[in-house]
Amino acid sequence: MTFSWKRSYAIARKDFKDISKNLYVSPMFIFPPLLAALYSRMGLDSLFGTYFVFIMAFTMVGTFMQSALIAEEKEKHTLRVLMLSPASAFDIVGGKSLLSIVMTTVIIIVSAFFLEYHPANLSVVSLGILLSIILYVGLGTIMGLLTKSVVEASIGIMPVMLLFMGLPFLTSFTEKYPFLSIIEFMPHNLLLSIAENSEATFVNSIGELVGLLLWSVVIHIVVFMLYKKRLKD
Amino acid sequence: MEQIIEVSSLEKTFGNQPALIDVSFNVRKGEIFGFLGPSGSGKTTTIKILTGQLSATAGQVNVFGVSTEKMKKEHHRKIGILSDNSGLYGRLTIEENLKLFCDLYDEPVERIDEVLDMVNLKGEKKKIVSKLSKGMTQRILLARAFLHQPELLFLDEPTSALDPVNTKHIYNGLEKLRAEGTTIFLTTHDMHEAEVLCDHIAFLNEGRIQLLDTPRALRQKFSEPTLTVETTDGKKVVVSKGPDGAETMKELMLQNRVASVYSNEPTLGDIFINVTGRKLA
Repeated sequence: MTFSWKRSYAIARKDFKDISKNLYVSPMFIFPPLLAALYSRMGLDSLFGTYFVFIMAFTMVGTFMQSALIAEEKEKHTLRVLMLSPASAFDIVGGKSLLSIVMTTVIIIVSAFFLEYHPANLSVVSLGILLSIILYVGLGTIMGLLTKSVVEASIGIMPVMLLFMGLPFLTSFTEKYPFLSIIEFMPHNLLLSIAENSEATFVNSIGELVGLLLWSVVIHIVVFMLYKKRLKD
Repeated sequence: MEQIIEVSSLEKTFGNQPALIDVSFNVRKGEIFGFLGPSGSGKTTTIKILTGQLSATAGQVNVFGVSTEKMKKEHHRKIGILSDNSGLYGRLTIEENLKLFCDLYDEPVERIDEVLDMVNLKGEKKKIVSKLSKGMTQRILLARAFLHQPELLFLDEPTSALDPVNTKHIYNGLEKLRAEGTTIFLTTHDMHEAEVLCDHIAFLNEGRIQLLDTPRALRQKFSEPTLTVETTDGKKVVVSKGPDGAETMKELMLQNRVASVYSNEPTLGDIFINVTGRKLA
């Protein structure tokens, strides 16, 4: 399978033009920076609070927006048209993901600005955040491919959003309920581990980074399997 | 002549429900092949199999000499599709919609004006798609289908929702494409459309091809061996086409009573009803 930057960018550029007029998705951009601004005014500057805002951005912007964009393409029968064009699966998934990745990154940066978050280990944290964005956007692609309409995607995404936003709160119960220790391997926890280590480097964070990479790879394998299935009715 | 589509003993079932039964036909390069049948007869299923969107249950389906199961992007590049499953981006303008497909198919943006001219929409390209009428939307879908100058065009009811002026404009466009060597696979309910455009016609009913031939051959095959003469006093006289009718005709002509002569050839709609017992619409 080939990848064409020109085709992928054409799809992304179309989405950039479209999103400014899409009143269904754009309000989602407000919530994470709003919460960040509120936290900042209230003087809450814990790492947990900061990363809760980031996870909110991952799920509300990355996952939700991506699932809505893909579901809308399915609902309007435009995804089928793209699939039958010379654009490959990489071109389409890449192009469709680019806007969500860029928007989530922008929202994270704006939220971090409001939270006055300046990590000492900026490069490692940035890589961790980027891998997280890619995997959460991939999750949105899966949700979009599994649903038939924007409304169905919006309802379907709710439990996923609640799960991923609620997981950080369950960490304190791991001693009482050992089975919850699986949370340690969840993406948010891997990212938080990197952020908590103020002396994090690429070498001593390799476990967490590889963990996030693996999550991203597995999610995108599922994406391409689903995409292939959607090629045939 | 080169065969662009080759279908042999095609079968398709959904669960236990047969949708296509022993369907066989070939489409030659540069012809317009009409696939006629009522709703639910299997026309869309056939298009989906031919374009690789659906797998056949049995049989052999080749497009450009390649099994549709093995079609690659290079084959899709040569195909244009207009179906009821074709969509547009409603919040974008006509131009923005077509620009995306120019980029996907490596076509110059100048092509946008050419195809819009073909569907009589030149000068409308800044309009937002969601605000267009159904007929205009259909014409944009058509324009997009042949934007990349495909070698093979699948058109599912292309002129439904169009007024006669725009329908004529589309017919001219399709005839121009045929003259340039484009092969067109057309499904329609419109017998006049089939008659005007198609080189070959297949009648599909309940998943089976009932008849396949040129429109002219079909009409001749089912025509009555008589002529109807309308006389100057408004009477209709049916005369045999053979020697028996010659005397009657001669007499009417000598009396200067012939106003009109009709060949009694059935329309394609009549033939369809005759063969299937069903109407097309």
